[in-house]
Amino acid sequence: MTPIARLVSALIAVLVASSAAATANPTPAGPVTDIAPPGQLRTAQQTKPKPPPKTPPPQKSRQPRPTPTAPAILSPPPERIEVDVSTRTIEVTSAFAGTEIIVFGTVLNSQQESAESGYYDVVVVVEGRGATSIVRLKSNVGGLWINTQSVRFDNLPLYSAIASSRPLEEIAEPSVFVANVIGYTRARMFPGRHSSKVTAEELDAYKTAALRLKQKDGLYVTSDYGVAFIGPALFRASIKLPANIPVGPLGARVFLFHDGQLLASQKATVMLERQGVDRLVYDFAFEHPVWYGILTVAIAAFAGLAASLAFRR
Amino acid sequence: MTLYLPIAEMSINVWVLISMGAAVGFLSGLFGVGGGFIMTPLLIFIGIPPAVAVGTGSAQIVASSMSGAVAQYRRGNVDIKMGLVLIAGGLVGTVIGVDVVRILRRLGQFDLVVALGYVTFLGIVGILMLIESSTTLAKVQAGGKGRGRRAHAHSWLDGLPFKMRFRHSKLYTSAVPPAVIGTFVGFLAAIFGIGGGFIIVPALIYILRMPTNIVVGTALFQIVFVTAAATVLQSATNQTVDLALALVLVIGGVFGAQFGAIAGQRLRGEQLRFWLAALVLLVGLRVGYDLVVKPAELYSITPLVRGLE
Repeated sequence: MTPIARLVSALIAVLVASSAAATANPTPAGPVTDIAPPGQLRTAQQTKPKPPPKTPPPQKSRQPRPTPTAPAILSPPPERIEVDVSTRTIEVTSAFAGTEIIVFGTVLNSQQESAESGYYDVVVVVEGRGATSIVRLKSNVGGLWINTQSVRFDNLPLYSAIASSRPLEEIAEPSVFVANVIGYTRARMFPGRHSSKVTAEELDAYKTAALRLKQKDGLYVTSDYGVAFIGPALFRASIKLPANIPVGPLGARVFLFHDGQLLASQKATVMLERQGVDRLVYDFAFEHPVWYGILTVAIAAFAGLAASLAFRR
Repeated sequence: MTLYLPIAEMSINVWVLISMGAAVGFLSGLFGVGGGFIMTPLLIFIGIPPAVAVGTGSAQIVASSMSGAVAQYRRGNVDIKMGLVLIAGGLVGTVIGVDVVRILRRLGQFDLVVALGYVTFLGIVGILMLIESSTTLAKVQAGGKGRGRRAHAHSWLDGLPFKMRFRHSKLYTSAVPPAVIGTFVGFLAAIFGIGGGFIIVPALIYILRMPTNIVVGTALFQIVFVTAAATVLQSATNQTVDLALALVLVIGGVFGAQFGAIAGQRLRGEQLRFWLAALVLLVGLRVGYDLVVKPAELYSITPLVRGLE
């Protein structure tokens, strides 16, 4: 909890600074929402998603920002983003019941007036490592429902969360997302070795089934409006990690869009690591499986004996 | 209070597990059975992967049959020699069974085989027990005495080689039938996560014609060793034994079994067998239901992680 608390205080500090800057500036720089909690901010954005300002492509008529440091801007410096996560290492102990991380970042050289202006779109993708997954289909054989066909999808992320400042389809063309491997309908879902022979339509059914099952397990989540700006430059997204998340490294990728164009992207990683008794048990079970089995039997036998002795009195 | 299970890789409420252990323990104390045939389907039902349910079920049966085996041994109700022959067969069966689990998991048919096996065995055993106990109940009500042990009848089994003298059982018979029974039960123990008491006890009584007072002790003796071997082999081959899950189940089971045993003393043997038969059939029907009725979701997904390939 402490890292989150630390982050919140950092956010508040930034907010205070930005509102102070706004009050120091005599020109009205759009409504500044001050120190409203991030949650409220997000719901405010949810209720009124603004379309991006439609501007003629060759020269984007950006409002010159009334800042004292920029008297004349011929061509604005390109935006870059810096991102980080609230917790770099998450401990999976026997008390682990899921957790939440916050991916946050800032837009350098932001052209945005305020948090509400909707000038930028941000997409945050948090993914676990890829693994081959087998999708099996049951059919009725002689009155019984049994697995008859299967398709393997190689390199399917074990976990995937996509948060965006607006629904993805409003942010950019699908081809942009495919090119950057954002979203579930990625090009890399094709049948691997040992797959049953299936038609194109059947394969589509397998793909949608895979995504549906992953979503049902809470391992594939999307959150439109899950990314919120807290000022002209600072943004955050809170990502829920469920209790059944496969343990391993997670990669966070953050993309900055404006008007359907990808402006910048950045990465950060989160480690999910087993700790404590849970780690001991897991490592022992996989590194010395025979001794682990013997230990389990010994504990079970001892428990059985102890119980019979305890209840004999 | 939730507990993250290290091998099953899921978070689950501890009290659910403890009350499940207690409920199954109560039934096993009441009927004098291991309860693996109820525990494993229950674990699968609450979302534990079937392979982990089976592997962990074996460990739980070691604990639950241990105290019974020790008590029977103290009363001199264990035919050690017969038990060793059964165990020798049981170990062979376990080795085969664990490897079959590995192959079936790779083929994606393990869940189906477990379900089919449960329906078949629980169905057959349940119906046989129901017939036997209801005819005995009818006889008792008609004023007669319950059926005693039949005199040793010569059968084709006596023609088999490797004759051995089992003094405790007062038997001079071939070692082949007990070894085969042991192998079969060991195989079932590995595949279905059960002790196999509900198969081995009738087999010893009706096929080997062992005296009934020695049967339960000898069966428990065999079950302890065979489920222990199954646990070690499941861990070594499939890494599907969850120590944390086993411990919580054992804690619940220990308490449940004591109350079950007390409740069991108030019921007569035939009545107990009748209700056990009904329970066995019910579990079988429940497992069978899922096989026959069209599932809401026809697809399933399995990530290939850890030793599955």
